[in-house]
Amino acid sequence: MSKLSALGEQFFALGKVEDCPIYDMHGHMGPNYGLYLPVTEPESVVRCMHRAGVKMLVFCHHAALLSCRGNDGNISGVRQFPDRLRAYCGVNPNYPETVKREVETFDDYGDVYVGFKFLADYHARKLTDDAYKPAWELADARELPVLLHTWGGSGFDGYEEVLSVVERYPNAKIMLGHSLHGDWDHAIEIIERFPNTYLELCAVIDDEQGILEKFVESIGSERILFGTDYPWFDFHYYIGAILGARISDEDRRNIFYRNAQKLLRGA
Amino acid sequence: MSECRTEPVSIEFFDANAFIGRPIGGAVKSVETSADILTEMDDLSIGKAVIWHIDQYGSSPVSGNGFVNSVVGESERLLGCWTILPPQTDEVIDSEFFSRMKHNRVVCLRAFPDHHNYLLSRQVFGGFLDEVVERRVPLLLSMSGMPGGITWRSAYELLKDYPDLTCILCDTGVWLTDRYTRPLLENYPNVSLETSLVSLGARVVESIVAKYGAGRLVFGSGFPLRYPEAPMLQLIHAEISHEDKKMIASGNLENVISRVGL
Repeated sequence: MSKLSALGEQFFALGKVEDCPIYDMHGHMGPNYGLYLPVTEPESVVRCMHRAGVKMLVFCHHAALLSCRGNDGNISGVRQFPDRLRAYCGVNPNYPETVKREVETFDDYGDVYVGFKFLADYHARKLTDDAYKPAWELADARELPVLLHTWGGSGFDGYEEVLSVVERYPNAKIMLGHSLHGDWDHAIEIIERFPNTYLELCAVIDDEQGILEKFVESIGSERILFGTDYPWFDFHYYIGAILGARISDEDRRNIFYRNAQKLLRGA
Repeated sequence: MSECRTEPVSIEFFDANAFIGRPIGGAVKSVETSADILTEMDDLSIGKAVIWHIDQYGSSPVSGNGFVNSVVGESERLLGCWTILPPQTDEVIDSEFFSRMKHNRVVCLRAFPDHHNYLLSRQVFGGFLDEVVERRVPLLLSMSGMPGGITWRSAYELLKDYPDLTCILCDTGVWLTDRYTRPLLENYPNVSLETSLVSLGARVVESIVAKYGAGRLVFGSGFPLRYPEAPMLQLIHAEISHEDKKMIASGNLENVISRVGL
């Protein structure tokens, strides 16, 4: 295909590129109430990772976010595939005592967790809610990654709330999952103002051309992360979208793995 | 674990879902002429495309259908898709409708009932859609959530009225929609799914092929709204047979169009 870059040609020919591993920073596991997922278990997820050259998936099990069953799915999944999976500790601010407990036991799972995942829209609690505080404080003290579901216009995890927490916790490595979906200018502003922040591309590159190009033109590619919500969205589909974007192969390599490798170093 | 291919894949793509023209709401990318879209297709190695014009949706099918005619007339690689309106208002549908389709190399139809303020039902379309069924003209429906999308309930009602309709459900939504699409695949043998967003779901193409066969999927890019490279890369490396990939990429749409009787 004449439009493709050298990296694109390799992905189209081979499906994966050895010197361009994919680090997916936004995954899940397990079934979901709202949609049918053909792939839900660690064995099948890792098999699909292999086919697309995805070296690492950092995920938070749906059960840790959408039920009150805690993080067992995260722990068992990572321990089944310690070379390919890491997890975010999922917390539910509607049960503050469980947030405290997860924070107190966080170090028991040093082989599992890289940081935390907050799903404020779904839990209907603002990111600044006191219930999150123990997790935020640990993340800030340890410089841990925190993946936020962020959505433009949301009163729970929209611009104002994200602005508050990135100011309040300057040492946490805060990833704006979905890049404040739809509120792209504010997402760019946050990256420009706060060095502890990153944009993540899930739901950004699947339904509209041009947003990724806008990000790269504005803030460069060094703080943009690949993410798919896997097993919601297909690895190759998202890789293909990034190959189709009008950015350089160096930008693509930053997004596919370099930025995540730096972010995860020490986590 | 099965390995990915180690040889380049050669598959001919025939795009069922691309439009020309500039949306009034703005667009990062748009194409306006046959030369523009052919350049894009060449860059992507897409051999042929069925195209519609965004003015069919945003302005009026009365003018938008004509814009398609002029573009399609300039290349054998392009086929046209018109948009219908209720026959009662005599805006689009007349006694020469199907012969005009043939004359202009128009092989598919679209409908945007919610945006154009009518109901896509037997009460409205009566014998006209019976003739569409008889002539096996595919009706392409963009589903809810996308520009011009109709609701799933409307699609279900339409197919209850016209169970033999050749219908390609396009732009099926970014919120994965198997719970909506699979009952339609199961009940209506002439329903198929366009892949620009079906491919978005992890292992959904593989799962549909396993359950319903590759014949129920038709490649579409969603161009220029979405990146064509995304569904293309997904399909090329899907864990299905090479024959199934060829059917989805172009064979199924070729078959559908070959059956159109104008």
